[in-house]
Amino acid sequence: MTPSLTDEAVWLHRCLFHRPIDDISRKRYEEAHRRFPQAATTSLVSRVVAQRLDAEAVEFVLRRRGAGRELTQKIQVLSYLAEARPEYLAAFINTTPSQARAAAALLAAPLVAVWKSLKGEYLIRRHGLV
Amino acid sequence: MDSFDLIVVGSGPGATFAAWGARGHRILMLDVGFDPPDVPVLSGNPCELRVGGADLFSSLIGGGFEGLHNVFHPPVNFKLKAPYLSYIAGDWTTLTPITGNFAGAISLARGGLANAWGAGVYRFTDRDLTGFPIAAADLRPYYDELTSHMGVSGVNDDLEPHFERDGALLPPLRLSELFEEMLRRYQRHKLQFQWEGVTLGRSRLAVLTKPHNGRSAYAYENLEFFKPHDPAIYNPAFTVDEMIRSGAIDYRSGHLVLRYRELPDGIEVCARNLSTGDTETFQGRALCLGAGALNSARIVLESHSDYTTELPLFDNPMSCIPLFRLQRIGRGLEPRDTSLASLNLVMDDPAWPAPLQASLYGSTGPLRSDILFTLPFPFRTSLAVTKYLAPAMGLLMLFYPGQPGSSVRLKPSGELDVVFAPEPACGVETRLIRIFRKIGYLTSEALIQRPAMGAGLHYAGTLGMRANPGPYETDRNGKLTGTGRVYVVDGGAIPALPAKNLTFTIMANALRIGRQLARELS
Repeated sequence: MTPSLTDEAVWLHRCLFHRPIDDISRKRYEEAHRRFPQAATTSLVSRVVAQRLDAEAVEFVLRRRGAGRELTQKIQVLSYLAEARPEYLAAFINTTPSQARAAAALLAAPLVAVWKSLKGEYLIRRHGLV
Repeated sequence: MDSFDLIVVGSGPGATFAAWGARGHRILMLDVGFDPPDVPVLSGNPCELRVGGADLFSSLIGGGFEGLHNVFHPPVNFKLKAPYLSYIAGDWTTLTPITGNFAGAISLARGGLANAWGAGVYRFTDRDLTGFPIAAADLRPYYDELTSHMGVSGVNDDLEPHFERDGALLPPLRLSELFEEMLRRYQRHKLQFQWEGVTLGRSRLAVLTKPHNGRSAYAYENLEFFKPHDPAIYNPAFTVDEMIRSGAIDYRSGHLVLRYRELPDGIEVCARNLSTGDTETFQGRALCLGAGALNSARIVLESHSDYTTELPLFDNPMSCIPLFRLQRIGRGLEPRDTSLASLNLVMDDPAWPAPLQASLYGSTGPLRSDILFTLPFPFRTSLAVTKYLAPAMGLLMLFYPGQPGSSVRLKPSGELDVVFAPEPACGVETRLIRIFRKIGYLTSEALIQRPAMGAGLHYAGTLGMRANPGPYETDRNGKLTGTGRVYVVDGGAIPALPAKNLTFTIMANALRIGRQLARELS
């Protein structure tokens, strides 16, 4: 069964922010898709959502390949919607100065990128996403 | 038919100050003139508002999801897609379409592209005016008058030889910690910078640090990417409104000027009334074209039914170079920062015809989501990288002089066809990177971004001033060759484009031409 926009919002948001999506953001996500028909769900996105795959990893690999633009667009929409909400401020802006935390995050960044890249490649091949 | 002394087309920097200079005569200003939406506008710093629990969807994304424009359409300047600023570039693609490799935008708003400008005001020196039929002394009194009219903040510092002395400057904007430290380190290493031909100093901005002429001072709300008509940041629309209130001009918005024709005793201007679709004609004794370099060119070519001539076109090529101060990584964001240019840099070499100029900005202005997906990381990693690096990052936007080889032509369909020549090779970035590394600011050539030609929004040269003007050129008073009554007062009249924001010079030149016209019309 093709996942609904609600299913999409719930799963993709969880992949990005590791927390449930709030009702306001979910409704805005659905409204954005009415405004931008070109954001219609494709089979790639349907399968990522239906099979509960790591959308962040898949999107990262496809973006580097220059493919899967539709998944990137949906993730971008969720990012913009979250950035406007007060609950997500700390995800976007460093509100608590900490050089140690910053150093750890930045040193981990390339390692995380490699891990997500490997995972994304595996998921794409394993599930025949592309 | 009602007749005017002067018809002015447009309401951007050139048109506004041509009209301002010619006050006292009967002036008609014809303009498309889009205005900001009539909605409650964001008030307060976006970061502090969200800390306080405010949902900023309407202001940052918009009920029409304008903020998502770049997700689904070819990208536009971040400011031009903000919900309350999208009027600035509204409808230009349908009303004044452009084909070719044009990556920029045109404004049909009241005030023009200056509604979204960075407010940098830099006087052209004689060296900048090489190739112009006028000298710095011709513009100086008008620069002075504009400084008084708009209010300009800044300092007569190490950059004075490049920006000329201005005795009426308001105090400069407050610097963030990042740029305070950068300026201090420059001062300590000044000899090294000078050895490389690089000078750093404070920006000159048409931004008020004290109340001035009824407008309030800058409040450091950091809303330049989201809020229209901040009274502290000069906008030609303020002067247009002042002229309307005083009766100095008859302002007709909703009119797209199509063409003109000279009559034995005047000039007739033909415009489309956008509300009715009707074509209307207006008569005057003289015409000032201030619709912007591209649209003024359109009007002139259409008036001559010329669909073959290619006019020259300039824009400043740009490089965007991020600079990182590692010791600042992990600092808290300074929410009461500014996204206006904090510092300026001039790079000069005796072998060059003219210096290069750069502006230095913080990274707190635009939405993070605008840049997250340009980074080579997965989403959550990009979030962390931008979150922790932003307080440590300054963005150096380097301008190069406009290069010959680009052109614009009018097609029979009414579209302008723009062909931008390839960007020139940029060799100085390596030198800049090396200089900044010496004072503790790191970057890599791999991080440099070069926006496409046209993205600079500094269009010029289509109807340039010359000492001996030829066809489709203008004399030193802006009069178009072969006409007796048509004057060009916008960037189209600027015959060459140094690596310096040209808006202040457009204003000063237009004011000069307006004053001259006022004498002639009398």
